[in-house]
Amino acid sequence: MSSPAFWVSVLTLMGVYAALTMVLNVESGWGGMWDLGVAGLFAVGAYTYTILTITGFDEVLISPGLPSWSGILVAMALTGVVAFLVGLPSLRARREYFLIITFAFAEVFRNLAINLGSLTNGTVGFNTLTRPLQSELGDLKINEYRNLLLGLTWVVVALIFVLTRRLSRSSYGRALRAMRDNEPAAVSLGIRVSRLRLQTFVFAGVLMGGIAPFYLGWLGIVQPAVFEPELTFTVWTALVLGGIGSRFGPVLGPVAFFFFIELVLEIEVPHNLRQLLGAVRPLAIGLLLVLLLRFRPEGLLSERKTFGARSRADMTIWGDLVASVGDFKTNVVNLKTNVVKLLRR
Amino acid sequence: MTVLLSARDVHKAFGGNIAVDGVSLDLHPDRITALIGPNGAGKTTLFNTFTGYERADSGSVTFDGHELIGLQPWRIARLGVVRTFQTPVGFPAMTVWENMQVAGAEHSVLRNMLSRRGKKEESKLSERANEILSDLGLEGILDTHVDELPAGERKLMELARQLMTQPRLLLLDEPAAGVNPSAIGLLANLIRSIHSSGIALIIIDHNLSFVLDVADYIHVLAEGKLIAEGSPDEIASSTLVKQVYLGVEE
Repeated sequence: MSSPAFWVSVLTLMGVYAALTMVLNVESGWGGMWDLGVAGLFAVGAYTYTILTITGFDEVLISPGLPSWSGILVAMALTGVVAFLVGLPSLRARREYFLIITFAFAEVFRNLAINLGSLTNGTVGFNTLTRPLQSELGDLKINEYRNLLLGLTWVVVALIFVLTRRLSRSSYGRALRAMRDNEPAAVSLGIRVSRLRLQTFVFAGVLMGGIAPFYLGWLGIVQPAVFEPELTFTVWTALVLGGIGSRFGPVLGPVAFFFFIELVLEIEVPHNLRQLLGAVRPLAIGLLLVLLLRFRPEGLLSERKTFGARSRADMTIWGDLVASVGDFKTNVVNLKTNVVKLLRR
Repeated sequence: MTVLLSARDVHKAFGGNIAVDGVSLDLHPDRITALIGPNGAGKTTLFNTFTGYERADSGSVTFDGHELIGLQPWRIARLGVVRTFQTPVGFPAMTVWENMQVAGAEHSVLRNMLSRRGKKEESKLSERANEILSDLGLEGILDTHVDELPAGERKLMELARQLMTQPRLLLLDEPAAGVNPSAIGLLANLIRSIHSSGIALIIIDHNLSFVLDVADYIHVLAEGKLIAEGSPDEIASSTLVKQVYLGVEE
C-alpha cells in the first residue's frame, strides 16, 4: 500500500473536487444550468489569488504580496464579478447552447492565461506560490503543511455543504429546481428566472474563486495546462457518479471517483507495463461511467430520495446522512442486481 | 360595474396566421367570465397576451390601471394576474408540498443564506398550503411526486399551487380537461367558491355544459375575432354561436 503522505494528498484532492462538485450541483443539478466552464472560473480565481499573493517574482509582475486570506477573499470577489460578466450574455441561452458558451469562455480564459505573459508568466506559470494560510499559521514544513491543508480543505467542504444544504431546503432552492423543471410554470408564480439564474451563476463563481487557492495549495504550481477542459469533465463525472441533485452525492462522487482511480493505479503490474496501466485509467473511468449511466443514471444517490418527504421534515444533517446511507445501500444493491442480470444474459 | 381587466383592440399574428384579431373585452370581477370558441379560435393566445407569454402586436390590456402589454410574465404574475396551463406538468421532480412551497415565497440567495426569516415564512406557507389543499380534497397527497399523480389530481394540484400566490385574477386554461366526468360538478363548485373568496376568474374550456354551468358571462371567439358575448342563456340560444362553435345549421 502507498504511504500515509500519499493518502493525505489523495484525500485533499478529493476534498477540493467535492467542494467544486457541490457548487456545480447548485447551478447544474438544481438550477439546470449545464455549466462546462468550471475550469474557466476556477482559473480566474487561481490566477487572481496567485498574482495578489505571490512574492519573489518581481521580474514578471509587481504583486502586492497580500496575505493568503485576503488573496482568497479578493479571488472570490473577482471571480464573482467575472461570473457576472460571463453570465450576462450566456445565461440568455439554455441547455446545450449555454453549455457551449460556457465551454468557450473557459477556453478563452485559458488562452488569456497563455498569452497575457506579463501578468501570468505564460505557459510556464508560477511554481513558488504562497500557499493558503501557510505563513499565517507559522513556518510549517511541507509535510506538516500538507496535513494542515487536508484539514483546511475539508473544513471548506463542510462549510459549502452546510451552505448548499441550507439553500436546497429554502425557497431559493425550490425555486431553482422549479425553474429547471418547468420554466413557464415557475414564471407564472412570479419567479424572476433571469435574475435567479444570474444570482446562482455568480454565487457559484464566488465559491469557485474561493476553492481555487486550496487546489493551488495542493498542486504547488499554477499554469494554463492545469485548467484544461479535463478539469471540468472530472467535476462533471464526479457529479454524475455521486448523483445529480442529491445533497451528499457531490461529496460521495469525487471520493468514489478518485478512490477508484487510485485503486486502478495500485494494481501490481510488471514494470514495463506501468505505462500501459496509466493508459488504462481513462478507459476504466469510461467503463465506470458507461455502467453507471446504463444501470443507475441517477447516480449513487438520488434527488428524489434527497428531497421528497424528507424536505418537509425538520431533518438534521445526521438524519440526512443516515437516510442517504440507506438510499446508497439500496441503489448499490439494485446496481449489482442489474449488472449480474446482464452478465447472466 | 367596476372593470378589473380591460382589453382594447388586441392583435396577435404568427407570420401570416392571425391568431387574435382586434379583440376588445372588459372583465368584471363580480362575475365568472368564460372564453369559448372552436379549436384555433385564439383563446389561449389571448390568455398568453394577458399574462405576458406572448407580446401582442398592437392594442392595450390594462389590469387595475397597469398596462400589461410589454411587461414580463413574472411581473404580471406579481401584479396578481396568475394563470394555469392546458397541460399541468407542474414541477415533476418535486412533491406536492414542494410545489406548493415554491409559490408565494421570496427567492433571494442572500436572504435565504443569511436571514432566519425563511423558517417563519415557510411555516406560514405550510399553513396556507394545508388550508388550500384540504379545500380541494388533496390533503392526502402532500408527499407524492407530481408526475405520479393522475391527470385530474395534477390539474387540481396546479390550481392549488397557483392559489398559493394569492392572485387577484386567475386565468384557468381548460380546468375541466382530464378531470373525471363525475368530478366536474365538484370542480364547478370549487371554481364558484374560489370566486366567492374574492378572486376574479376567466375560464377557457371546451366542455360547453361545464362552461354554461359555471360561468356568469361568456365571450365567444372564432378565428381570432370576438363574435358574441352574453349570459350563458343568451349564448346557448344564439344562432351564430351554434353555427360557428357547434357547427349547427338553422
